[in-house]
Amino acid sequence: MALNETTGAEGRPAGAGRPSLVKRLTPPRKPPHRNRHGRPKAIGHARETGDRRLGYMLVAPVVILLLAITAYPLIYNIWNAFHFDNLSYGNLPHNFVGWKNFTTMFDSPQWVSALERTLVFTVVTIVFDVIVGLGLALMMNRPFRGRGFLRASILVPWAMPTVVSAVLWKTMFDPSAGFVDYILGAFHPAWSGLAWLNINTLRAWTAIFIADSWKNIPFVAILLLAGLQVIPNDVYEAARMDGASWWQSFTRVTLPLLKPALSVALIFRTLQALLVFDVIYIMTNGGPGNSTESLSYLSYNTFIINTDFGLGGAMSIILVLLALAVSFIYVRAFRPATS
Amino acid sequence: MSINRAVRWRTVTVSVGAVALAAGAAACSSGGGSSSSVAASAPQTIVFAESGLGTEGQQTQLAINAFEKANPNIKVSIQVLSPNSTTYLSSLEHDFISGSSTPDVFESDVTYPAKFAQAGWVLPLTQFSVNTGQFFSTEVAAGTYNGTLYAMPWFDNPEGLFYRTDLIKTPPTSPAQVVSDAEAAMKTDKSLKEGIAFEADKYEGAITAFLTVDSAFGGKLDPSNVNTPGNVAALKWLHDDIYVSKIAPQAVTSWQEGQVQAQFSSGYTPFAIDYPFVEAQTSAPAVQGHIGYIPFPAGPGGTPGSALGGEMLAINAKTAHAAAAYKLIQYLTSPSVETARAIAVGDPPSLPSAYTSALYAKAPYFQNVKALNNYAAPRPVTPNYLQVSSDLQTLFSSVFASGSPGAASAAFAAGAASIKSDAAATPGNS
Repeated sequence: MALNETTGAEGRPAGAGRPSLVKRLTPPRKPPHRNRHGRPKAIGHARETGDRRLGYMLVAPVVILLLAITAYPLIYNIWNAFHFDNLSYGNLPHNFVGWKNFTTMFDSPQWVSALERTLVFTVVTIVFDVIVGLGLALMMNRPFRGRGFLRASILVPWAMPTVVSAVLWKTMFDPSAGFVDYILGAFHPAWSGLAWLNINTLRAWTAIFIADSWKNIPFVAILLLAGLQVIPNDVYEAARMDGASWWQSFTRVTLPLLKPALSVALIFRTLQALLVFDVIYIMTNGGPGNSTESLSYLSYNTFIINTDFGLGGAMSIILVLLALAVSFIYVRAFRPATS
Repeated sequence: MSINRAVRWRTVTVSVGAVALAAGAAACSSGGGSSSSVAASAPQTIVFAESGLGTEGQQTQLAINAFEKANPNIKVSIQVLSPNSTTYLSSLEHDFISGSSTPDVFESDVTYPAKFAQAGWVLPLTQFSVNTGQFFSTEVAAGTYNGTLYAMPWFDNPEGLFYRTDLIKTPPTSPAQVVSDAEAAMKTDKSLKEGIAFEADKYEGAITAFLTVDSAFGGKLDPSNVNTPGNVAALKWLHDDIYVSKIAPQAVTSWQEGQVQAQFSSGYTPFAIDYPFVEAQTSAPAVQGHIGYIPFPAGPGGTPGSALGGEMLAINAKTAHAAAAYKLIQYLTSPSVETARAIAVGDPPSLPSAYTSALYAKAPYFQNVKALNNYAAPRPVTPNYLQVSSDLQTLFSSVFASGSPGAASAAFAAGAASIKSDAAATPGNS
């Protein structure tokens, strides 16, 4: 386990009273030699420029690669979103259509419902995942026998590809072969043949939610556990000496100091939930009807099935903007207070 | 680091970048099609894309070996694409969009030729003066777009009604009798779990299951108007199997053809709507030797129903090897090769003449399959079939999830307009 289990155990913050590690390891920067005209010396200048050039050259291959595989498709997608481009009509010219793809999307009740569903799913899963994940992290942060084993095994669902876990859960929710109905049937005979995925919207979402959370809660828990471990013990001791109850030290010490880890977990999970696709594609294929279609699912359907790259492009741009807006809000909200 | 070394580094970096870009550009342009054509008699290699894995793939390889022996100047390179139909289609589309001249010849689902033809990706077969009369006319119709033949039938998969001959003594003659026979069988045989199994998951199979019963109610799946009394009655019949007579469990909404086959082969249901492959599967002892396979019986004003599935062969419009590619197609669709394939892997021939006594001796059920082929209805032939299919899957799924008795008529009334516009030859969003 890569997690540091000793940080803070000495009873004082690591490195208190010493210069920071970065300061200790960085040689003091000398002021540049200047000639009498006040300009930097030529040799030093050339050396710095050379180093900078080398730096640029070293990163150049990666930058070129990133531009080719990220920037180019992104720009091409923006171009698509403002043009007519549909493979089903491959011989028609790719005319500029202005905002038409966007207005078509905003006017489509199917897209608006998918947006609502995606937002509700995002809020519900995040709240649930973070609460349960935090509970698990607090539990795993306490010393007990078999803690190392538990910490390792709790990561198993996260290590599994989503497609695999979705197929697994689809099988488990199967009314004739799955174990969910088998166990429920033990409580009530009428529950032994519940069709989960394609009969009832709420039941279908419940199944998707369970499959999604099963996979993602361990991720939140491990992130938060890492956050808990860097909180020094003496802060808790000080709180205890001041007579703080467990709840007070949780709300006044743990939560504020957990903010960085919490913000990372929230950003990751929110973006994953906003872009939810694979669980839905495998488990319900958007059904019953189209009641479990998410924004990403609709985008996939428009791109791959309908081969409408114009409308699909517009959809993915809105999805990207939505994700950027959410990240921006989180980053602002969790920005450390400047002293 | 000295300036000289930095400059050397820059040279190296720039060279590496240039090589990478050049390689990328070469890779992008290598798909450029060639317009010159090679005569069938010239030595050449053609690329054949197919989805066959396992025994089907081996059978194709055997046929190709024999073809190469008979045509020593033609080498065939087999390109095995994904067995997943969406992925398979995407790979082909990527080749076509990039203008690639390969694969020269490829396997195509019966629902693709219209799309490929509209986009100009496949070669019209008119230049080869194909004798279409030798094939089942239903699959020829699937390969024909705007009156021109673009794909040759390779094998036919007509979907129909399976029944247990030990439980249902005389085959039903109407949809209502299917329900009453199923109810009677469930009463007498307690080992049955349901009265009928069919594909009602939200996927392509739900459309073929619907098409199998559709014509029995006088319905026709024409995307320009799906809201017809026949279509409503057919969908209502399937819906009522789940909610009114309850001969089908709600679980059918998660069943695809494999699960339906498992229910029938295990002896859990007296009726099942499925493809011919069910007959070739290992069945429970109670089921063995008691399998009947018929078109879905017609109701008043209807005709017996079956849905067409199957695979076709088509030629890339950009190929330089059209003559050799057609030679390969001719070989693969010749009666003796089709019969051999049916015997070896159970793919039903697309030629009536390939249903020989030798085939019946090996697998008597092919007599039923041949009979069904005369009824098989193709899915709508439109370049936008995938979009229409997606609309229909959503429509059917919403009906199968609703307990309301008017669900089928309400769904067709609500969905007809968008299906019509999605299938239109001119786009609604240009």
